[in-house]
Amino acid sequence: MTSSTLPSGLLASLDVAVLERAEDHSFTLLGKAPPWLRHLWPAAVATREHLHPEARFIFLEHFFDEALPLWNQDEASATPSEMWTEVDATGQEWLLEATALKLEGRSLLLLKFPTVAPENYREVLQQSRELSLEHYRLRKEIDRREVLLHCIVHDLSTPLAAINGSLRMLLDDALVPEEGDPLVQIGLRQTDKMRGMMREMLEAFARQAQPRQQPDTDEAPDLAAAVQELTIGLTPSATLKGVQYRIETEGGSNHRWPVVGEATRLERVLFNLLENALRHAPVDSEVVVRLTDEGQSIRCSVEDAGKGVPKNEEYRLFRKFVQGSGKNGQVGLGLYFCRITIEGWGGSIGYNPSPMGGACFWFRLPKPTV
Amino acid sequence: MGIMRKKICMLGTFAVGKTSLVARFVHGIFSEKYMTTIGVKIDKKSLDHDGRPIELLLWDLNGEDRFQKFSESYLRGTDAYLLVADGTRKPTLDAAMNLHKRAQATLGEVPFVLLLNKVDLVDEWELEDEDWTHLQARGWTILQTSAKTGTRVDEAFHILAQQLVPP
Repeated sequence: MTSSTLPSGLLASLDVAVLERAEDHSFTLLGKAPPWLRHLWPAAVATREHLHPEARFIFLEHFFDEALPLWNQDEASATPSEMWTEVDATGQEWLLEATALKLEGRSLLLLKFPTVAPENYREVLQQSRELSLEHYRLRKEIDRREVLLHCIVHDLSTPLAAINGSLRMLLDDALVPEEGDPLVQIGLRQTDKMRGMMREMLEAFARQAQPRQQPDTDEAPDLAAAVQELTIGLTPSATLKGVQYRIETEGGSNHRWPVVGEATRLERVLFNLLENALRHAPVDSEVVVRLTDEGQSIRCSVEDAGKGVPKNEEYRLFRKFVQGSGKNGQVGLGLYFCRITIEGWGGSIGYNPSPMGGACFWFRLPKPTV
Repeated sequence: MGIMRKKICMLGTFAVGKTSLVARFVHGIFSEKYMTTIGVKIDKKSLDHDGRPIELLLWDLNGEDRFQKFSESYLRGTDAYLLVADGTRKPTLDAAMNLHKRAQATLGEVPFVLLLNKVDLVDEWELEDEDWTHLQARGWTILQTSAKTGTRVDEAFHILAQQLVPP
């Protein structure tokens, strides 16, 4: 059997307190009081009449500025408040919100917990902000370490340059006996290599510190010409290994492929990719460089027939200080340098396995706007 | 003479120390634990200014970020505000500047003091002399405070109170 009237404790069981505003501007508590009201405002539950909720909850004094115009007219309407927090004697916080209501000529005030579950809301908000603070702290820590590393690299480069210069002088001026020549040459090669690594690191730091600016497109470098020049430069090393560079472009060798960027850095990006491919290409194989016109941009890919990159290492290829599993003496900044350079020009860079069986590194750069 | 009541809002992005500054001023306590504020929390503090009682209603407003917006409606009836930035997180100063603009648009010219909080964390401090010079050039009242040690916290509230009491 059902009843057509609402149960008297319905609103209280939903944690809603209902108060009615009288002509003398005081309030009367209607129906059953929810438990939280007994806790926060026991006097109201005891006396029930001539109440002034704005004196108990200061926030309501502010809210009544919005509620009064609504209560002073006849049309049925409602206006909700913002949320506010009350703190009880034990320090526990209670998140509340109010609604002013005009219904059947009666001026009502509903006090309740917010529609969103307060604890879930607080937890999500708290966690998101803690994570945000932690992220900021870590970022700061990383920056600090990078500056330290930069200083160390910079400080080491000066004595290394002196060692390198001295070795070169020993060789050039024939200051060592003939049988000592190979040893000096080994020393010279190693210091050259170390200087290259340091330059790579310092350049990467410098690139990162520079604000990313739209490059000047009037002097757009020709990608095809850069590829051509670099592969010629690398041919002696490639020949020793029996590797051949093959360049595939549409439109023939006289066709220009201008891209957004700066010539010297673009060459450095290309050199990194071409040299990388050469290092991993098997003996007597090909490295294929392919340029593709994609309308608004140009795609350049470099493929080899080596072993490729293990699947579980792909995701971190373009990060700082990442070496391949072979750990062949590289610092691990080459691809990182490529990424920040290409992205700085509004392009993108990536990796996928090559149909040739090895690696395919590619980048895409926008064409300059006329 | 009745007690003069004044509404003071604490404005600043999240985790700059607004709640801690109020807790230090009102209750003389400090907690290291960060507890985010939802909506608004209101506290009271009575002062005696040159023999004239004044009750400050301190509205500790939630800090704004992409998860929780700041509602200008809380500002209605505000007599003065403390603009709070965290000196160990420079972006919070930009956020404070932004909130200041919005407060001015809503309230017009009302007294305010800029607090660069957490000055006890010297090693983490990110604001540079240049920032300080730039801020001072605006002619604002700026204090470096610490809710943790209590450095210049009372002074900040008293400076505001002083500006709110008619001569």
